[in-house]
Amino acid sequence: MSKTNKGTSPPSWSLKFLRFFLKSNYLEEIEGDLEEIYDDNLNQYSIKKARKLYNREVIKLLRPILIRKMSGNKQLNYIGMFQHNILVAFRSYMRYKSAFLINLIGLSTGLTCTLLVFLWVNSEFQVDQFHENSDRIYQVVANNETSNGISTNFATPALLPQTLAEQFPEVEYATTQSWTAEYTLSFKETNIKAIGQYAGADYFKIFSYELLQGDKNQVLKDKNAVVISDNLAIKLFGSTTDIVGKTVDFMHLKSFQVSGVFKSPPSTSSHQFDFIMTFEEFKESRSWILDWKNNAPSSFVMLAKGIDLEAFNVKIKDVIRANNGEPNITPYATRYSDLYLRGKFKNGKPGAGKITYVRLFSAIAFFTLAIACINFMNLSTARVSRRLKEIGIKKAIGASRKSLIIQFLSESVIISLLSLVLALATVSIILPAFNNIVGKQLVLQFSQEFGLTLLAILLITGILSGSYPALYLSSLKPVKTLKGQSPTSWRDLFMRKGLVVFQFILSIILIVSVLVVYKQIEFTQKENIGFNRDNIIYFEAEGELELKLQAFLEEVKKVPGVNMASSTAHSFIEGGYTGNTYDMSWNGKDPESVLAMEYMRVNHDLIETLDFQIKEGRSYSKEFPTDIGSIIFNEAAIKAMNIENPVGQTVHVFGENRQVLGVVEDFNFRTFHEAVSPAFFILKPTDTWVIVAKLQAGREPETIKELQTLYTSMNPGFNFDYRFLSDDYAKQYATEQRIAILSRTFAIVAVLISCLGLFGLASFTVERRLKEIGIRKILGSNNANIVQLLSSDFVKMILYAIVIALPISYFIVDSWLQNFAYAVSLKWWFFAFSGIVALLVAWLTVGFQTFKAAMVNPAQCLRNE
Amino acid sequence: MKKTKLGEFEELVLMTVVVLQADAYGVEIKRELEDRLNETLSVGSIQSALKRMEEKGFLTSEFGEASQKRGGKRKRIYQATPHARKVLQEMKDVRSQLWAAMPGIATN
Repeated sequence: MSKTNKGTSPPSWSLKFLRFFLKSNYLEEIEGDLEEIYDDNLNQYSIKKARKLYNREVIKLLRPILIRKMSGNKQLNYIGMFQHNILVAFRSYMRYKSAFLINLIGLSTGLTCTLLVFLWVNSEFQVDQFHENSDRIYQVVANNETSNGISTNFATPALLPQTLAEQFPEVEYATTQSWTAEYTLSFKETNIKAIGQYAGADYFKIFSYELLQGDKNQVLKDKNAVVISDNLAIKLFGSTTDIVGKTVDFMHLKSFQVSGVFKSPPSTSSHQFDFIMTFEEFKESRSWILDWKNNAPSSFVMLAKGIDLEAFNVKIKDVIRANNGEPNITPYATRYSDLYLRGKFKNGKPGAGKITYVRLFSAIAFFTLAIACINFMNLSTARVSRRLKEIGIKKAIGASRKSLIIQFLSESVIISLLSLVLALATVSIILPAFNNIVGKQLVLQFSQEFGLTLLAILLITGILSGSYPALYLSSLKPVKTLKGQSPTSWRDLFMRKGLVVFQFILSIILIVSVLVVYKQIEFTQKENIGFNRDNIIYFEAEGELELKLQAFLEEVKKVPGVNMASSTAHSFIEGGYTGNTYDMSWNGKDPESVLAMEYMRVNHDLIETLDFQIKEGRSYSKEFPTDIGSIIFNEAAIKAMNIENPVGQTVHVFGENRQVLGVVEDFNFRTFHEAVSPAFFILKPTDTWVIVAKLQAGREPETIKELQTLYTSMNPGFNFDYRFLSDDYAKQYATEQRIAILSRTFAIVAVLISCLGLFGLASFTVERRLKEIGIRKILGSNNANIVQLLSSDFVKMILYAIVIALPISYFIVDSWLQNFAYAVSLKWWFFAFSGIVALLVAWLTVGFQTFKAAMVNPAQCLRNE
Repeated sequence: MKKTKLGEFEELVLMTVVVLQADAYGVEIKRELEDRLNETLSVGSIQSALKRMEEKGFLTSEFGEASQKRGGKRKRIYQATPHARKVLQEMKDVRSQLWAAMPGIATN
């Protein structure tokens, strides 16, 4: 039997493993033994069996006495070394207090930012993940192909889910979920306004909102059923037990029976509501939703396990158009739990959304920490001359490079640990304030996961900041260091300067970003949006008032302090009451094209109350009874329809030919993120229920009080609940406000940490060059010369940083502003200002040090040695 | 016998080493013991016993010749130290005394 035959040699992986774990001085003997046995076995058994036996023998060799030690066979006193390292670390902290403090403050601030952002990001990722089947719950949205791209509508026909469940076996459960609105619920004398919605019978089987009482298969079956939250139950009944079967009044119109109690949706739920009524009731009270042409509620399905979403989407693509004849509308299922972070659709697919901010702040936190780590690197490499002797002696008596690296790394890990403890303390103090800004309830909770994250952050920080100094310091030649030669080479200086430049690039980018975000927010608050939102309050006419609306409006107008009042069915801000139709047709319309239009049902005087600017034609007037049902377009609609001289023409919408009375200037009824879309007013006084009143400035509280008295006297059993339009308008930009505050804070922190580092470097340079300064002064140099000499290096670095940072920041803020259809224009001085701020701050930091140095008495610094 | 203990299996291996004399290397020891005990032993158990006894000073070893069968690797030949022989003798004496003292099943 030939030894070279591949099949007859022992299994190679097994042999490799043996060579890996066995003590090297036993290897030859034991490997030989095994081979001999293998050879015998080959003569006796099949190759396969022999190999198997060989493997078994190798495994059985795994005995403590035969396995090599992880650190080789030489035993060293590791614990002693480690103690020594810690001791030296603490000695060097004590000796160079300023560097220690700068590192401690910088790292702990950086870590504080990182921890806060981590807590926030973590909670963002948890939103909507609590549903047990969250990987199988999909929201079905409607993609509408129009001439200007695909627009995505979350509102779908109400019958869509039911149809999907009937036609496709992949769908396990499906439910319609109506929009949420505030309704008044009453039990005996208690009237409570609560957020309610309608949903299909399988709602609780799809979503894991916890039912405290009631059966999830039954609670939404009976048409008269209502399921209420525990919070609402306490408000209405004073308890959460024994209320199933009790009757509550809905809007003082109808009675419903409580069929179950659910736990209020957790804060990790993006959808919040207080009670649910049945889909059957929804269909009965709003029969118009049964028309497939009307899109209002949302659709959810839970697919069976292992269904391919792509294939499912292809299968369902014709469901809507088969029922309403609209050729361009395609349903599209997308995972519900993803929508919170990726809720913005582009070309019919989910893409951006809050995830952009998650990424943005993760990046900012990382960079803040990086800036702090750079401080550590710079300060410890700059101070290398102070430790030359220590390194030299250690090397001379036989310290390996590895043990020096470990020493310096442990120094940086120890300081990271101290900073982390400080950061945790800071976080626990400022967390309430941070929660206030981000609008969340984050808590500092020590779990295993959090502990591991802390450990990871600690090690990353320690190694990031310690690796360069460790590699650098340990590479020094012992002979040179003991001789006292400064090892500063061109490369080290370049590295150090490069790091400072990098810090300031980051700082400048942050300054520019903050400035632009601020300007944009200011712009959204001050820019003319096309109508007046100041001193406008609005409230709903509920119950009987809806029927007595005209009479009530007349009374409202009589209240002193009310300048004007009207009513509408649209609230002119994002997230309020809206309406949308594809139904509009006009003379010369291309029959193939589809145009989505926002419609606003309004009452007389609404256009005047909110100061919409009439551009052509006239506003609605009570003198012409034929105005009822007529149309006023906005400019965007006229442009989209491409018609000339619109006033006086007729268009066909909502089943009738209607006259066009006029055109108003474009106004923003959504946020500045979107361009003004085509819209029209339609005069329908009987279809309005939101009362809008313009108050006289200066006496709002009294007026509101009188309105309240009027409201409750005319509409007993309902609470007067009003809102200021300007407040709701500002709320649309809440996210931007938060970003403004957060990025400002982070920018200040980043700049401060950078300056701390610069301060440390400058003071060190000054200290080292003190003798030089003394000699220069003796030879006649004046203070200004010396300040210039010392600070020119630093100023140069900042200038480089400015040159590199400004184009980058331009690119970043420009792409951020692309998110807005209406954005502040970038001015050159934004960039100039940021550059000057950076330069000024840096110069002040360095200048203080250099000035102090220039003032020194040369005799003092030349006296010694 | 007072200082270092000799386990039962170790004792068997040690005696095999003495028996095999110049042939006492890993595989041969294993083969011999397997024949005598009539059971299969692993290389790991033999080797760990050998190494332990070497540490305790019962065995010394040196490399022997290499062979084709072993892929050119040398054998390690084990030899019992005088101390080991003494310990073996002591153990035998203790055992036979105990056997003699046992009532009922004393040998004839």
